[in-house]
Amino acid sequence: MFKNLYNYRELLKTNIKKEIRGKYKGSFLGILWSFINPLLMACVYAIVFPYILRNTQPHYVTYIIIGIIPWNFFTMSILQGTSCMINNGAIIKKVYFPREILPISLVISGAVNFFISVPIIIIFVLCSGLPITYNIIYLPLVVIVQCLFQIAIVLITSSINVYIRDFEYIINFVINLLFYATPIIYDSTMFPSSMQKILNFNPMTTIINAYRNIFYYNSHPEFSALLTLFIICLILCFISYQIFKRLEKGFAEEV
Amino acid sequence: MENAITVKNVTKSFKLYYDKPSTLKERLVFWNKKKSESHIVLENINLDIKKGETVALIGVNGSGKSTLLKLMTKIIYPNQGEIITNGKLTSLLELGAGFHPDFTGRENIYFNASIFGLSRKEIDKRINDIIEFSELGEFIESPVRTYSSGMYMRLAFSVAINVDADILLIDEILAVGDQHFQDKCMEKLKELKNSEKTIVIVTHDMGAVKKLCTRAIWVYEGKIKMDGNPNKVVDNYLKVCG
Repeated sequence: MFKNLYNYRELLKTNIKKEIRGKYKGSFLGILWSFINPLLMACVYAIVFPYILRNTQPHYVTYIIIGIIPWNFFTMSILQGTSCMINNGAIIKKVYFPREILPISLVISGAVNFFISVPIIIIFVLCSGLPITYNIIYLPLVVIVQCLFQIAIVLITSSINVYIRDFEYIINFVINLLFYATPIIYDSTMFPSSMQKILNFNPMTTIINAYRNIFYYNSHPEFSALLTLFIICLILCFISYQIFKRLEKGFAEEV
Repeated sequence: MENAITVKNVTKSFKLYYDKPSTLKERLVFWNKKKSESHIVLENINLDIKKGETVALIGVNGSGKSTLLKLMTKIIYPNQGEIITNGKLTSLLELGAGFHPDFTGRENIYFNASIFGLSRKEIDKRINDIIEFSELGEFIESPVRTYSSGMYMRLAFSVAINVDADILLIDEILAVGDQHFQDKCMEKLKELKNSEKTIVIVTHDMGAVKKLCTRAIWVYEGKIKMDGNPNKVVDNYLKVCG
């Protein structure tokens, strides 16, 4: 896998560039959209949820922003990644290149976008009077784990979506469900410990908690949990790559 | 002489759907519908193409030439048998596949060449040749969407032909641009042929086959009907199908 990717590294690079540039080119507010979208979402939740939940966190808007911007990275990667083979059908039919480049470059361009919106998080953190500490150096680690997790998912969903076109709707639904199963707008400590255990099975819980530790609680991410997740994601990536290679052979005929 | 492409017992069939269920919903709702019919496009093909050969695949429409070419590029895979290629391979199945309309000609050269597996350095080395060959001049800095179709084709052909692959697969695209550019392409192909590259072309231009190729293969209804000297094969083909 790595040899193939290395040989086609230039394609990976140009594809990432294309994704980033193509995304905002032609839209009036350009790259601002990657900030505005999560900001608006955070505003809505910040207004609505204090009424529904009784004891919300202090600095609730900041608390949500820290969760929602990585979540946005997650949803965008999965949704765009799932449909990437169909969207690039024209090239797939005409040229040979390692197909895994498409979903992988989508995830990486999402990561670049995420880094672009990190200043937003920092601004919110500073405005609510919280400090930014050296713990921020762990940020890339968390992003790498998140990327691996997303690549593992997207390799499978993108290839299934070629054969079953409405798979993306199913994914859309699952992501909506997962949003509420991830401690983004609430804190997992408000649940009894049995419920917390179930929440912890969700890899996104570990990831969002790690971001919170860095930006909100000024501590380092829980290394043991993050390392476990890293290893799981590596194994997942390996498995989904094998599945991808199987399904890949029919892509040109099916898209 | 070493083989550049080895085709061993290859059979390829396509499923013909009357009404293809592409979604889960359709699969569930129409589960009892008669699904598909298998259509054999290529049947038990055996072929050795040696290094340095220039081979033409000829035949009427629908005989399986393009499918054979696609199998060689690994865009599609055979149902049975295997295809082994030896060396860096470039295919020109359709010109400009994957051009991004908003990018300039120069950017698209980088993008297109990277699809063929070139690294940045390799592209940097060739970029002047490519631009020169395309004769686009200052248009190279304008977005591709502003190009005329001829300019588009010229750019695409220039990229593909300068990739410097060992094996070049070309599908019916010799009719690129005006007469001047066509002659230039022919010259370039001859030059590649003389530099020991392996070239496989699918074409209906029998004149080009006789002029350029060292071997012609006549594909008829999924089988190889004749294989050998281009003059002989073309004459026989024209007698039957012309």
